[in-house]
Order: sequence, then C-alpha cells, then structure tokens
Amino acid sequence: MSSIGYTNDAPPTVKTAVAYALSALGARWCDYAATGAAPRFRATPAALLEKARWVEAFATLKKEHGFDLLLDHSAVDYPDRTPRFTVVAVVENSTTHDVLLLKTRVADGEACPSLTPLFRSADWAERETYDMFGIPFEGHPELTRIYMPQDYDGWPLRKDFPMEGHLKFRD
Amino acid sequence: MADSAATADVVSATGSTEGGFLLSTLQSMVNWCRKNSVWPLPLGLSCCGIEFMATACSRYDMSRFGMEVARFSPRQADLLLVAGTLTYKMAQVMTRLYDQMAEPRWVIAMGACASSGGMFRSYPVVQGIDEFIPVDFYIPGCPPRPDAVLNCLLQLQKKIERDRSYRLALDAGDAPVAKGGLVAVSGRGEMAAPALAQAADRYVEGARPKAGVETGTPPVRQR
Repeated sequence: MSSIGYTNDAPPTVKTAVAYALSALGARWCDYAATGAAPRFRATPAALLEKARWVEAFATLKKEHGFDLLLDHSAVDYPDRTPRFTVVAVVENSTTHDVLLLKTRVADGEACPSLTPLFRSADWAERETYDMFGIPFEGHPELTRIYMPQDYDGWPLRKDFPMEGHLKFRD
Repeated sequence: MADSAATADVVSATGSTEGGFLLSTLQSMVNWCRKNSVWPLPLGLSCCGIEFMATACSRYDMSRFGMEVARFSPRQADLLLVAGTLTYKMAQVMTRLYDQMAEPRWVIAMGACASSGGMFRSYPVVQGIDEFIPVDFYIPGCPPRPDAVLNCLLQLQKKIERDRSYRLALDAGDAPVAKGGLVAVSGRGEMAAPALAQAADRYVEGARPKAGVETGTPPVRQR
C-alpha cells in the first residue's frame, strides 16, 4: 500500500481557510515526513479526497479561494493497490501563486468525475489520461483518445502493458 | 543519349545520330525516362527529413539525378521517401498516401526509425514501415548522411532500369501495351541482334517479383 502517511492536519504552508474548506470535504493531508524524501521534492501540499467530493473540492477552491489555474491533471497506476489508480490534479492560485495538489482513487473500469466543466484546460488532460490509462471521465464533453489512433488496442501507461513487442494493433 | 544504361539496349543503325534512328525496346526507353525523372514525395517525420532537405539542396544536389522535383501531392509523385519516426497514428496517413500514388511507385525507408523503429521500441512507434507498405530500399543511419541517401537513390535508378513489367505483361497476355511498340527491328535485324539477344536474356519467364521486394540484391549499405 501507500508509503505516504496521511493526517487530518494541513501542512503549515496551506492557508487556514483553504485547509478548513478541504478538511470539511473530508480531505486527508499527505504527510511526506514518513517517506524520508528530501523536502524540496515534496514542497507542494497534497490532499487525498473521496471520489464523490472530487468536483466539489475543485469548485470550492476555484470559486471561493482563487485557485483558478489547473496546472496539471494526470494519473498514476499502482497495480498492487485497491482501488488501482490515483488521479492527480494540481491547481494554482494565480494571484498568490499558492499551489495545491489533490488526488483521488478510482478502481479499474470505474469512472472519475470530470473537471472539464470547471477548467477548460482539463479537457485534453483528461483525454490523455483516458488514452494512456483507460480511466473514463464522467461528464467530459468528448472523451476520445487524444494521442493514439482511435482503434488502438490497450492502455499504454498501465503497468501491465508490455514494455515492447506490442503488435496487436495492425492496420 | 550518353547515358550508359540506355545505350546498353540502344543501337544506332547508322553509327551517327544525324539522320539516323535508334533501335531499342519500349521497356528500356521507358525505364530510361523513368529513372531520370523520379519525383519524390518526402514524408519528413523527424531529423531524417532535415537530412533529406540537405540532400535536395545545392551542396549535395539531388537534381543531378533528375530528382529535384519533390512533390507534396501523392498524385504527382512516384517515390515515397519515408524519412523519420513513424507512429501508428501517422501510419494511417502514410498508408493513404501510398494508396493514392499512381503506379509505378517506389518506397524508401530512410533511417533506423523508418526501417525498424530505431531506438523507439515502444507503444506508439511502428517497428519498421514494412509493417504497412512494401519497401524497396532501406537506408541505415540515424539519421543517414546525404551521401547515403544519394547512394540509395542511385541504387533506385538501377532498380528502375531493371524493370521488366512491360515484357512480363506481354508474356502473360494481358498487355496494356501496344505489342508493336516493344520490338522495332524489322528490316535491320542484323545490327540490332546483339542488343536484342542481350535484352532477351534478362527477360526470364516467370512471375513478376512481389511488389516492392528487391530480389537478389543486398540492401543498400553505407560505405
């Protein structure tokens, strides 16, 4: 399972109002001290959310706390974990330049709520995540593959995808 | 008519070009025209495309061999030069370009990526364009130097020169070619005989080699 510890207390760099709003939505904050990683690689405060609260959390951050810029939106495959995938999104407050990383977990074949209605920049990012991991995004306006051909067989960034010799796709 | 390839089959009946005439086969004349007027369709997909540009520019100058008219319409080209890394998504485009080219057409896989996927042994990259279309020549190199490209183009000229599709079509009886056009030697047979005999030797009975497969000739190698 995860090597990261989780606590209910937000890191000191997170503003109190933000920490309070996210904690009210059931967020648990990542405690990177347990990993032993150098702090400079773990400078971004990160929180884990329930999937049901995913969109709500971003809506609150955007509308009430000024986190109006979606920097990144992707996923990680942990084949040993249940649920298997961790969806990650990074938002920034473009005025104060505070950055927050939020994650949620989805199982194989399970849909993740889409952030595209909130952030236009989530559109292609979610299509990429769908293309590479096969995670469907519920509420996305046009969820099709973005890099691979539409009839490509498989999800290339899943850990069980073969490193080489994938020749199932033939024209 | 100083070209060595054409003269192999061409006999001047009078010994001079003035007021005389030439004896040859339609096939060798057509081949001679085709090989000196190759219109490439460069499909530049990465760094190999830059090397192809160098080959076409004045320092290396492809136009010395009648190949400078690069066309970006497959309808106007007869040599598809795939230069660079081909992804599966782009492979659909390449296949379509190839399908749109009129016969006769030739294909060169330029560089390691087009030939075998190169160093990209991963999910989006086609492991050699011959997964999709027949290839006449493979150029090694990453990317190949313009010298190697020119060498390959010269090899291609030799291949075009050896083409015997007209004769094979005639032999098969489904000739799209006017039969009278093939041999124009009646009356002056004596002088033309050696060249004709030489030409006949090359037209061995049998099926045409599979399209795009070079038989009996090793791949182009870099010196």
